[in-house]
Parts: sequence; structure tokens; C-alpha cells
Amino acid sequence: MPPFQLVWRNLLRRPLRSVLTVLSLMVAIFLICSLRSLITTIRSAADNSDPRRLAVMSASGLFVELPLHYQAEIERIPGVELTTKFQWFGAYYRSQQNFFAQFAVDPASMFKMYPECKVAPEAIENMAKERTGCIIGSTLAREFDWKVGDTIPLIGDLRPHPEDKAWEFKVAGIYHSDAPNFDSRTLFFRWDYFEETLKQGGVPPGVGVYSIRVAPGASVDQVIADVEELFHDSEQRVDCDTEAEFQRQFQSMFGNLPLFLSWIGGGVLIAILVACVNTMLMAMREQTPDVGILKALGFTDASMFGLLILQSTFLSVLGGGLGMLLALGTQGALARFLEAFAPGYRVTPETFALAAVIALVLGPLAGIAPALLARKLTPIEATRGTD
Amino acid sequence: MLVPLSYNLRSLFVRRSATLLTVLGIGATVAIVSGILALQQGFHHMFTTGGREDLAVFLRPGASNEGNSQFNRERGLTLIKSVPEIEVGPQGPLASMEAYLAVLLDRTSGGLTNVPLRGVQPMTFAIRGDEIRIVEGRTFTPGHDELIVGRRLVAGIANCRVGDVITLNKTPFRVVGLFENEGQFGGEIWGDLDRLLSAMGRYGPNRVIAQLRPGTVIGSPDPMEVMFSDEPPEPEPGTMAARLLKDNVVPAKVYSEKEFLGSQTVMLTFMLGFIGLGLGVVMGLAAIFTAMNTMLSAVAARTYEIGILLAIGYRPIPIFLSFMFEALLLGLLGGLVGCVMTLPFNGVSAGTMNFQTFTEMAFAFRVTPLVLATAVFFSLVLGLVGGAWPALRAALMKPTQALKQG
Repeated sequence: MPPFQLVWRNLLRRPLRSVLTVLSLMVAIFLICSLRSLITTIRSAADNSDPRRLAVMSASGLFVELPLHYQAEIERIPGVELTTKFQWFGAYYRSQQNFFAQFAVDPASMFKMYPECKVAPEAIENMAKERTGCIIGSTLAREFDWKVGDTIPLIGDLRPHPEDKAWEFKVAGIYHSDAPNFDSRTLFFRWDYFEETLKQGGVPPGVGVYSIRVAPGASVDQVIADVEELFHDSEQRVDCDTEAEFQRQFQSMFGNLPLFLSWIGGGVLIAILVACVNTMLMAMREQTPDVGILKALGFTDASMFGLLILQSTFLSVLGGGLGMLLALGTQGALARFLEAFAPGYRVTPETFALAAVIALVLGPLAGIAPALLARKLTPIEATRGTD
Repeated sequence: MLVPLSYNLRSLFVRRSATLLTVLGIGATVAIVSGILALQQGFHHMFTTGGREDLAVFLRPGASNEGNSQFNRERGLTLIKSVPEIEVGPQGPLASMEAYLAVLLDRTSGGLTNVPLRGVQPMTFAIRGDEIRIVEGRTFTPGHDELIVGRRLVAGIANCRVGDVITLNKTPFRVVGLFENEGQFGGEIWGDLDRLLSAMGRYGPNRVIAQLRPGTVIGSPDPMEVMFSDEPPEPEPGTMAARLLKDNVVPAKVYSEKEFLGSQTVMLTFMLGFIGLGLGVVMGLAAIFTAMNTMLSAVAARTYEIGILLAIGYRPIPIFLSFMFEALLLGLLGGLVGCVMTLPFNGVSAGTMNFQTFTEMAFAFRVTPLVLATAVFFSLVLGLVGGAWPALRAALMKPTQALKQG
């Protein structure tokens, strides 16, 4: 084993270089952590959903509405415990850049269906009393500084108000959600307000998605098959899937964006590996005369090999550790920033583990070529120096 | 007197392993940034080519995209008949109602995706002329359950070849032709307006397009401003746009096609630009550190030589410039390597969701001269910033000390 003090002294011999190497490793590990977290966050919505919850939409896609009477028919299917309906509202607040999701829902069944949507009992009561009542996610409330009792005017981009004015919603409560499959940046409002207002304009709404909860003990696959079979010859064919599958389908519309993110991660890896090898080669070149002296003093080839490997491992572990800290430290800020795109951004322990493995492997890997050179050198060659 | 450039060239060659590794590091950084730029260019190109100034797009007031807009059939017809600015051809007004829908189809690679579906009237082809080119089979017959498919879709989406059948809700439609269009239409499926509306259970078209008489001024406000301001700007008073917005019979929002297409790309362009910039800054930092390391080491190893240069009368400024040149050269080489790594992506097809319409768009990476120029410029900046400190250090050396140390 080479003396540790020697490792330390060698690194401090060019402090600026060691610092720069550590910094570039830090940036790289930070990037790898953040990029991977972006992908895992997007995927976690599907991985965390309730396996007994199903989504029913038109077989032609979300753009096509389902008739209202489907709900009663679905409820008659054995094994269906609970149903609720959603319709996309597609409005914006003041200008199009203030975009968030709004859905018309039946509050009572929706709260029963989604226990992950945590809301105070007063909010449910308020909403039952107030026809224009809505509940908004905590993130949304923070972003626009909305409080219970406020009135939110929304411009109906997709569904204009029949009186040609803004739709108004009164905040009945604010919901919280920690579940990755239920984001906290949505506004839910009452179906009767939605339907009655649109009927005034002569355009009664249909349903975007029906949610189903399968009773304990009933077969999920059987219910899926029954629902699809039931509407096979009705005016709209339907597609019934588990919530996880539905989420996955929605995410797959991101196209090959996740693939590109992985490519970027790969590019970053190559770039830092190259940078580390470079640093270690430079260090090796400068230390060549020392290696000669040490070998002449009787240090073995193996310990010279170890000296170089230890140096690069030390740098990569330090840089990797700092990069992981940076990823952890920026998690809150990034989560806030990415709310609309990837709600619930979080660096998972698996990502940290991966980053740690990369840092641990990278160091020795970058040191191998220079270390082999150091090992091969004879004392005489080395003391003469290469530069 | 300047230090001969060959001194730097030889130095880069002598330290070739370090040069090579640094160039590779900078190259990887540049490649990633220019790859994202190429993606953004491809996307932007798809939406803006073929956007015509003399073609008007009419939407329902308040709708920001064609998916959200709705007219019923009678209102659409009234609009076509009542707007005097619409050019009239031998078969009547050069205007057509269009439905914009999306349909869930199988990807060839597995899974489902939303593909844009457009119902058009025969007049569309008269207006579009050779913008829509049938490259295989024939166009659909009006009134029949037939479709033509944009050629960019064929590889990615199942059942898109001539002779295949695509079932829309419950009605089977036969694919009778493939067409080509560089713009957004090349990633869409087209069919007869009325047949698609009835198959999909819709009651009316989404928008009206019309060719305008030469010299017509539309006068609509800048779509970018509309999107980003809380107080939506009004159209210029007295123009066609202002009149139609307040029309008693069929109020409508009108844009030129070029303006309309520009407004549809704002979100994704903004997002990709942001990702590119963010990654460029962060990865650029790492690349600068690497370049600085290499140059520092190059300077340190040549302390003795710098001492000699100073001793024989070279001034600090030429020495500074000499090392800066070396760093710039290193950056430039990295930039070129980055460009070479990006070039194979030219034309590779990509697909992503358009967040404004929730449909998937098929488009291709475009490594344009602009992308390459940006890549080279970026790499020069990396070399410049990374090289400044080491070059300064070389220039500030004392000849006696440098000679002693080296």
C-alpha cells in the first residue's frame, strides 16, 4: 500500500487542478442525478397508482367525449364498486401562459375514489353548498396566491361561457397530495355547474374519463373485459385500462424525449470520464520523477499503481459526493420549477445509489491507464522524466 | 513581436493525448447542446415552412389553437360567404372548413399515441396547390370513407400504408394514398370533412381557412403578445381582424397562416430553448474546467520555455495571445468534433407531444448552418474562458524564476 500522506500531498501539489477536476465531477454527477430524476419522476405516477382503479375513455382517444348515460351502465357491471367522472375544462387564468388543468367532477364520488387527495371536511361542505365552488391544489394556491373564499375568473379557451364572459369559481378549499400519481396543481369544480351552464349555450357536455374502483375480490381483468364488451356496439366504443396503464399511455406522448434525456446523460458520462483520464494523465506525467525516486527507494510496482488509482478515486469520490449534495440541495427549487411538467420532482435513493456507483467506478477507471504506465516505469527511466 | 503560431501547433501535437482528451470532452458538450438546438430547429421548421401570408385562418374568438376552436357547419358556411376579403375562384370562394381531431392509434414500436386527424373539403386542395403532393396511391374521394396519410407517419404508426384499414370509432376507413408536406400536415391523417365528423360524433368543423384577395391587411395582434400578456392586445381598429372579432353573426378570430403556425410552437420552442440553455451553461462549466486544467498543465510543463521566450525579448502580451490562441484552437477542435458527432442526427425522426394540442408530432432533427455556427461559437467561448487564466499566468511569469523553475 502506498502511504496515504503521499496521495494527499500529490493532490495538493497542483491545488487548482484538483479543485477544477472535483468541480467538473461535481457538475457531471449533479447532471446525471437530475436528469435521471426527471425520468423517474415522470414514471413514478404510473408506478404508484392504485391497481384496483381503472380508467375508461373513448377508444378514439381523449378528444372524443363519452355519453353521460354510460356511468349508470358501468355501475351495473358486477365487481364495480364505485365510479366517478371527469371532464377536461381547458381554460386559462388571464392569459394562456397561466396554464393548469381543470376538471369538472362529482365531488362526493371523486373524494371517495381518490383518498390521496387530502382535503378538510369543511371544504367538502363548502363545495356542497356553493354551486360555483371548487377545490384547488396546494401548489396552485401558492403559485397564484389564492385563498379559500377567493373568486377565480377563468377564460374558457375550449368551452366559452354561453354569456361570453369569464367562468367564475369560488375557492371552497385547498387539497394536498403527496402521492406522485395525483398532482397538486389542478382545479376541480362541480359537474352540475359545468353541465347546466353549457346547456344554456345549447352544447351539453360529455364525459372525458370515467374512473372505476374494482371491488375487493373481483377480478380486475374481468371488469376491464366486461366494460369494453358492454359498449362494443354502442355509439362510442371505449378503452378500459388500469390507472397505471392510462398514465403510462399519457406519458408515452412525451415521445422520445425520455430517450434523449438518457442520451444526454450518456454524453455527460463520456465527457467526464475523458476529463478525469486527462487529469490523471497530466498528474502522472508530472509525478514521473517522483515515481522513479520512490521506486529507487524500494516501493513496489504495485504500490505505485495503487498510488495513482487512489488519487483519482479520491477526486471522483469527493466530486461525486459534492454532486450528490448539490442534487439534494437543489431538489426543492427544481421541484418548484418543474411543477407543471413533472410534478413531485424528487431524487430517489436509487438515483443516489447509481450516482455513488458511478463515482466509485469512475475514479479507478480513469486512473488505470496512468497507473499502468507508472507501474511499468523503471526507476532510471522515471527519474530522467518524460517532459 | 508575436510568438510564431507553429509553436502552439507543435505543442498541441506533442501533448497529443491531453489534446485529444480535452477535444473529446469539449466535443461531447458541444454535441449535446447542438443536438438540442437541432431538435428545436426541426420542430420550428416543421411548423413554419409553408406558413402562407395570403392564407387566413379563422378560429372561434377566445380559442388559442384549432383543437379548442369550434364552429358549427352553418356558421362556417355563413362566414365563407360573408367575408368580402376571401378570393373567389371559378368554383366559388377559395375557402374550406376543416376539422382537427386526434385519434388514438398503435405505434409500430408498441403502445398507443394520439395522431392528428384533419377533415378537409375539396377546396382545400385547390387552395393548397402543390403544398400537398400525393406520392403513392391517390387522394380520397369526397363523401367516401377513405383516408390519405402524411408520409412522416408511415414508419412510426401501424396501419398507415396504402390498402390498410384504420377504424375511427366504429367506422372502417381505407388508406388510399400517402402524401408529402414539409410542414405540420406531413405528420397528419386527412380525410373527407363530413365523413370524419360523422364517424367521430362531432357536429362541426374547428376552423375555416381561406385564400385572401391580394393586398388584404389582416391586422391581427402579434400572437406572442397575446400569449404572454394578461391584457390581451386588440387588433388594429378598422382592419378585417377588428371587424370580424365583433361580428354579430359569426364572430371570429383571424390570423394569417404564418402567424398562426408561429403561435402554435411557442411553448415547445421555449421549453427546448430553455433546456438547451440550461444544459449548455451547466455542461459548459464542466468543459471550461477541463480546458483550464489542460492549459494550466500545458503552461506549467513549459515554464522553462516561457522563461526563454521572455529572456530573448518577447513581451508578456504576445505570450498571453499565444496561449490564448492555443486555447481557442483547442476549443475550435472540440467544436468541430462536436459538429461531426451531431451531423449523423440530421434527419433522424423524433416525436414528442405538442403541449398546446396534446397530440404527438413527428418531426426530424435539423442540423442547420445556424446550429453548426452556434456550436462552433460555443466551443470558442469554452476555449476562451478556459484559457484566459492559464494564459495570464504564463504572461505574468518572471523570466529568471521561470528559467530556474523549469
